[in-house]
Amino acid sequence: MKIGKLLPTAFLLSTLVACSPSEQATPLTEAEHGDSGTFKLSGDVKHIMQWVLDPAAFGVWNSAGSIITSAGTRELAPTTDEGWLAVEHSAAVVAASGNLLMMPGRVVDEKVWKDTALGLVDAGLRAQTAAKNQDSDALFDAGGQIYRVCKACHSVYVRGENAGGLP
Amino acid sequence: MSFKKIATASGLALGCLVSAQSNAHHAFGAEFDANAPLTLRGSVTRIEWVNPHAWFHIEVTNAEGEKEAWRIEGGTPNTLLRRGINKRSIAIGTEIVVEGYQAKDRTNSANGRNITLANGKKMFMGSSGTGAPDDGADPGR
Repeated sequence: MKIGKLLPTAFLLSTLVACSPSEQATPLTEAEHGDSGTFKLSGDVKHIMQWVLDPAAFGVWNSAGSIITSAGTRELAPTTDEGWLAVEHSAAVVAASGNLLMMPGRVVDEKVWKDTALGLVDAGLRAQTAAKNQDSDALFDAGGQIYRVCKACHSVYVRGENAGGLP
Repeated sequence: MSFKKIATASGLALGCLVSAQSNAHHAFGAEFDANAPLTLRGSVTRIEWVNPHAWFHIEVTNAEGEKEAWRIEGGTPNTLLRRGINKRSIAIGTEIVVEGYQAKDRTNSANGRNITLANGKKMFMGSSGTGAPDDGADPGR
């Protein structure tokens, strides 16, 4: 990827991660801040879901598929280079989110959690490639893969009213 | 971070609705009422073939003879494809019968479970593992 494409993505990611509404993010304990000294968690898993992953995932999902009415079929795929670039950015954030979930302080266990997070990285990268190639069918499929990863994770880790997790 | 804390935090995050088309990011229990089953008959006016859920919009004539617009959440496109439903399977204007559960806010929105086509063919239109009631509709449960 070109530096010019990376910079907006990095900016978006840093902005989203830094944007921590105090009333919604759970304060972290010292242990949760991580002990490497090389990073500082900016929020918990909820924070990542709400401010980083969800918007990015919908950036991918809303850019592939069809709306069918009596007036005809409208394809949701971007029609301009700028539109595809925006989707590519969203996909990059999805991929990066997988790594954010693997940071010490967010990891729940060493196997399922990490495997699922890695699956999110893979799904995001697949969507990113599809967007870069402006391949709407591949983007749609990658969107489905992102959802399957989300659902697999939520089926294990989400409890209570939201059990089962996802859409 | 404790497991419980993660679970709670993740669950709360699921309540974050991000609208675009009819998309929403939620578990069944966050939006739909397991105690409000319904059956709707109407003609299809709009199909949103999108991730993470397909949506089917239908026009229903209520008991007073008035037209009502309803939107029905289905499973993922991939799930529907595996059951033989693609985005062209149901033409606009086709009359269908939907069994599902109404939204908690009592808007004309429902989570679809079974869909019955005009030829009598009945199919599960939902997704497994969303927290929907174990009502026998899901062949995977």
